[in-house]
Amino acid sequence: MGALIEFQEVCKYYYMGDTTVKAADHISMKIERGEFVAIVGQSGSGKSTCMNIIGCLDVPTAGTYLLGGRDVGKMNKNELAEIRNEMLGFIFQQYNLLPRLDLIENVEIPLMYKGVPKAERRKRAQEVLEQVGLGDKLKSKPNELSGGQQQRVSIARALVGKPAVILADEPTGALDSHTSREVLSILQQLHRDGNTVVLITHDNSIAMRAERIIRLEDGQVVYDGDSKSPDALVQAHIPEDEEEEK
Amino acid sequence: MSYFETLTLALRNISGSKMRSFLTMLGIIIGVTAVIVIVGLGNGMENYMRESFASLGSNSLNVIINGRGSARSVSIDDMYEVVAKHSDVLEQISPVASVSGGIKTGNEAHRSTSVTGVSEDYLDMKDFHIAAGRGISYMDIEDRKHVCVIGDFVNDQYYEGHGLGDTVRIRGAKFTIVGILESETEDTYVGNTDDVVFMPYSTASRVNGYGTIYNYNITMHDESQAALAKQVIEDALFEIFADSDAYNVISMTEILDFMTTMLNVVITVLAIIAAISLLVGGVGIMNIMLVSVTERTREIGIRKALGAKESVIMRQFVMEAAVTSALGGTIGILLGYMLSSVATKIIQIALDPMLAVTPSWDSVLMAFGVSAGIGVLFGYLPARKAARLNPIDALRYE
Repeated sequence: MGALIEFQEVCKYYYMGDTTVKAADHISMKIERGEFVAIVGQSGSGKSTCMNIIGCLDVPTAGTYLLGGRDVGKMNKNELAEIRNEMLGFIFQQYNLLPRLDLIENVEIPLMYKGVPKAERRKRAQEVLEQVGLGDKLKSKPNELSGGQQQRVSIARALVGKPAVILADEPTGALDSHTSREVLSILQQLHRDGNTVVLITHDNSIAMRAERIIRLEDGQVVYDGDSKSPDALVQAHIPEDEEEEK
Repeated sequence: MSYFETLTLALRNISGSKMRSFLTMLGIIIGVTAVIVIVGLGNGMENYMRESFASLGSNSLNVIINGRGSARSVSIDDMYEVVAKHSDVLEQISPVASVSGGIKTGNEAHRSTSVTGVSEDYLDMKDFHIAAGRGISYMDIEDRKHVCVIGDFVNDQYYEGHGLGDTVRIRGAKFTIVGILESETEDTYVGNTDDVVFMPYSTASRVNGYGTIYNYNITMHDESQAALAKQVIEDALFEIFADSDAYNVISMTEILDFMTTMLNVVITVLAIIAAISLLVGGVGIMNIMLVSVTERTREIGIRKALGAKESVIMRQFVMEAAVTSALGGTIGILLGYMLSSVATKIIQIALDPMLAVTPSWDSVLMAFGVSAGIGVLFGYLPARKAARLNPIDALRYE
């Protein structure tokens, strides 16, 4: 069986007037099942583009993205929606919970779109909420919770559909250092439980918590390897702006 | 995601912002209420006209003989013969001779009482029933007797219920009351259906000074054959006069149909004007739904990221618009019924106790269907906008 996530020369270009922005410039990489990978980069490095493509929210301009062996670039909007629903669990920086729904209702949304019957949905949503330690707040609204608790709800929502990949986009960006550590240890626990976790961050200290780091600069991979290696933390080269603009 | 769940979600979103939802519905509410009341008023007027005409006899035709100089005329026997010849269509005939001036009882004049000379069949034709005494007989007509039958109202008001055998003065001549009619109407105003006196037509034509009969009332077997009956009589009269100006055959059904058509045109125009407000209501719904799509851009992004297909988002917004509109329609229907019954009370006090505003089920069903349809129609554009949002942009939307 091939890699779970495979980028083959993936490119994503944005056209702004006369200039072309290369948000992803021939990125190739593989992520295997059960890995805990951090994609690190400064803003503008292309890590958000990378995350959008991995998350099937966007398709590459050129190159091939295989998710679980299927070519995402050839999918239509409905198939993309389906694959997001089945294969991916998103954790966002801003939690992105729906304020009018209570926790159970928030967590069961992915199951609802999958067509799981209501009773079953409730049960599974409750289970994952208990798993993240919010079993006593099932009927609360998101705004009654602290930031850390809201992020745990969003983790529960990502988990409920048993996705192949958990995709966390700056999951600690809005949290203080204490709750950040809490959220990161949940992600590490998920990894130990056998889940594939992809963490997107600009913060080296956070990326360190992963096993493997993929560092992006100007849409290109500049480091891909063990997070314990000293090279993982070093920026490969100072961007040469003049060259880029040509 | 099932339709039921989509519906539940729509109801939650609507009840989540009650004030806004109500204001959004207002256009639909006003439109539906107006349509129901106007159509109800139309129905009421039509019923009123039908009932009024029915009391005049919608199964009868009036024949008016204008004559053609003095050379040609038509005799009473000729008319009877026409009816006998076409007995498959026509039923009975009675000459009608109205006597103006009302009646005098003692020293009191009652000008509103209608006095008519008729045949022995007339009371039967018009469904009058004898309460006491007898009706007009063939011999009364032959002998031009000064006898009459009075209505319940005349008996009650002017003879305190003991008119039988008493006398009444009509145009100076004295008439013996030989019969009292049963009450035909609940009305109590002067000049109603019971404020009548009937006498033999032969006597009447002498009393009123014309000498001959110009009017006939002819009944037919079947109301729906009014046009045929009219044709039959006209053909017979044309044979006699060879001039279509010499006579006039008036069918009550025909007049009623004509008036109903006119009324329906007026009501339709009014209802269309009211329905324009439904259209305006639809635009209001579209406007609010567009605002709602913008407000919920982030929610749409989240839902899409979690696997909602375009069709699901689309369905959610269309459903919300349709439910808003249909809810407005339902409130409008209730309000329309309430307003109709209030209007009925006012009209019956102020105008005529017979006139009622009666909303029809057709208009109710149509109003509901149209309002739900408007929701779908005007909800479509905002829903499509929502469904097509790019999930990345929607997720970043602040």
